[in-house]
Amino acid sequence: MKIKRHNTAIRFTHWVTAMSIFVLLFTGFGQMPVYKRYYVDQLPGLAWSSNFLATLYLHYLAAMALIFISAYYVTYLIVSKRWDIIPRRGDFKESMQIFASMLGLAEEPENDKYLAEQRLAFAVTAFSVMALIVTGILKVYKNLPGMEFSVGTVFWLAQIHNLFTVILLLSVIVHLAAFLIKANRPLVASMFTGYIDREYVIHRHAAWWDKLNKEHREAGLTSPPVHPEAVLIAEQGKSCLDKTGNSS
Amino acid sequence: MTMTRRSFLKRATISGIAAASIMTGAGKVLAGTRSTGNYAILHDLNKCDGCVHQDTPKCVLACRVKNELNFPQPQQPIKNYWPQPKHEDWSGKRHVTDRLTPYNWTYVQHLEVEHQGKKIEVHVPRKCMHCDNPPCSTLCPFGVNDKTAEGPVVINPKGCFGGAKCRDVCPWHIPQRQGGVGLYLEVVPDLAGGGVMYKCDMCHDLIKQGQQPACVNACPRNAIMFGPQYELHEYAQNWARQNQGYVYGDEENGGTANFYISMIPFEVINLAIIDQDLDGTTGRVDMAVNIENPLDEPGNILSGLLMAPVAGVLAAGISTYQIMKGGNDVED
Repeated sequence: MKIKRHNTAIRFTHWVTAMSIFVLLFTGFGQMPVYKRYYVDQLPGLAWSSNFLATLYLHYLAAMALIFISAYYVTYLIVSKRWDIIPRRGDFKESMQIFASMLGLAEEPENDKYLAEQRLAFAVTAFSVMALIVTGILKVYKNLPGMEFSVGTVFWLAQIHNLFTVILLLSVIVHLAAFLIKANRPLVASMFTGYIDREYVIHRHAAWWDKLNKEHREAGLTSPPVHPEAVLIAEQGKSCLDKTGNSS
Repeated sequence: MTMTRRSFLKRATISGIAAASIMTGAGKVLAGTRSTGNYAILHDLNKCDGCVHQDTPKCVLACRVKNELNFPQPQQPIKNYWPQPKHEDWSGKRHVTDRLTPYNWTYVQHLEVEHQGKKIEVHVPRKCMHCDNPPCSTLCPFGVNDKTAEGPVVINPKGCFGGAKCRDVCPWHIPQRQGGVGLYLEVVPDLAGGGVMYKCDMCHDLIKQGQQPACVNACPRNAIMFGPQYELHEYAQNWARQNQGYVYGDEENGGTANFYISMIPFEVINLAIIDQDLDGTTGRVDMAVNIENPLDEPGNILSGLLMAPVAGVLAAGISTYQIMKGGNDVED
């Protein structure tokens, strides 16, 4: 039995974002004279990487994709009002508890659709992307003929853009490193298929599970997204959590 | 969650208006940044005799004296640019005056050209062109190479990491690198960075004090002029029209603040440079005409960047409408 976790719009957003950020990071680093010096352009298929204009225009193209998908996602959030990924009060404390539970020092909290640390990581990533888009657009304006920014503006635009590049790169690394933890791995598949095991939800996302069932009861639906016995299973799921703590 | 079609449309419209107002607002702010009052230099090749009776042309000498304190003082030994088996060090060749180096920011090309059946000597003082939209400045990854409000393009030696990207993207490959000096020594000098890039800054400090560049004052034949860019541009155009002469630097790379005027076509001069001056290394400078500035064609890129958020909002509108039209909102 599977539960839908990521709809098409979210998977579309995720993968366009991922691919555009990958291209942006690669071509962005290529704006420094590194690929020639470190022989990256000697690798098969990467001869273009030391051509500053090639990487610049690829950077612009990928930036278009990222701006497109950012506008898409913000609009999606506003229209659909699905705020699951937005940080809440107490998330910092809760994510500390999750880290403590990994070390066996505390019980894992009952997680909603996203873990507190996921919501915080999302905020860092989203803010970095926003800062990079704003400074990036200003840098494109600067490159136009006839556009002359003051010396200080040019310097700080470059520094802020570079700083948030580093922050974004770190957040991408942390995001990927999360899958070193076995408990997180089923989420990789769900970002492709959209679906995740019901048992996983019951164990790892008890609060979301409750919410799903409540929504369905309120909507007067007799067939929940999960199973006719959803409520019963939810109770069992809870008791399973009670007994084993962060058993998942 | 429930949503009617009307509430959907309302929210979609609001987010669209918000996006549009952000974009147009940004456009207004940016429209006011174009600067005026740039200065320029003009080289009259009909007057320049290359100071052939001097050891060193006067303009080159004046430049070296004026900039003596700006020349690099590298720490020895200078390491190779790992993993490349090389580094750039001109500190042992400070006396070189017949090419651009970190210690020589202008040099004179002494050429013999054939024009209308006659052999003519031509002398071309070379230095940074101070482009209107300089790729070296706009593409500097650290934002430390500036097109100043006065016109000169100036590299900040304190912020330069010496990657030499500016030299690569400059159509004339003007900036020259000295290793063993600058910011990279404070970071990981064994692995990254290469020194500091040096080139003519049109004596930016003197211009800001209301004075002329050193080379202009030094020229015994008044072959180098200094003044507002539009005035010198107009002077060059008028001179060329009245004398059936030629101008270099007005169109090249989208326009520069360093003009040359000559009775001999610059195609001919460039052929002589290729033949008599270039030696396959950096620091010897060609004079190709009609160089296009790759950054001067941003039209499609810009409209793409401006259309991207609009397309995103519209696409999201379609997506969310489809989800909601489905009647249930269970993410199916």
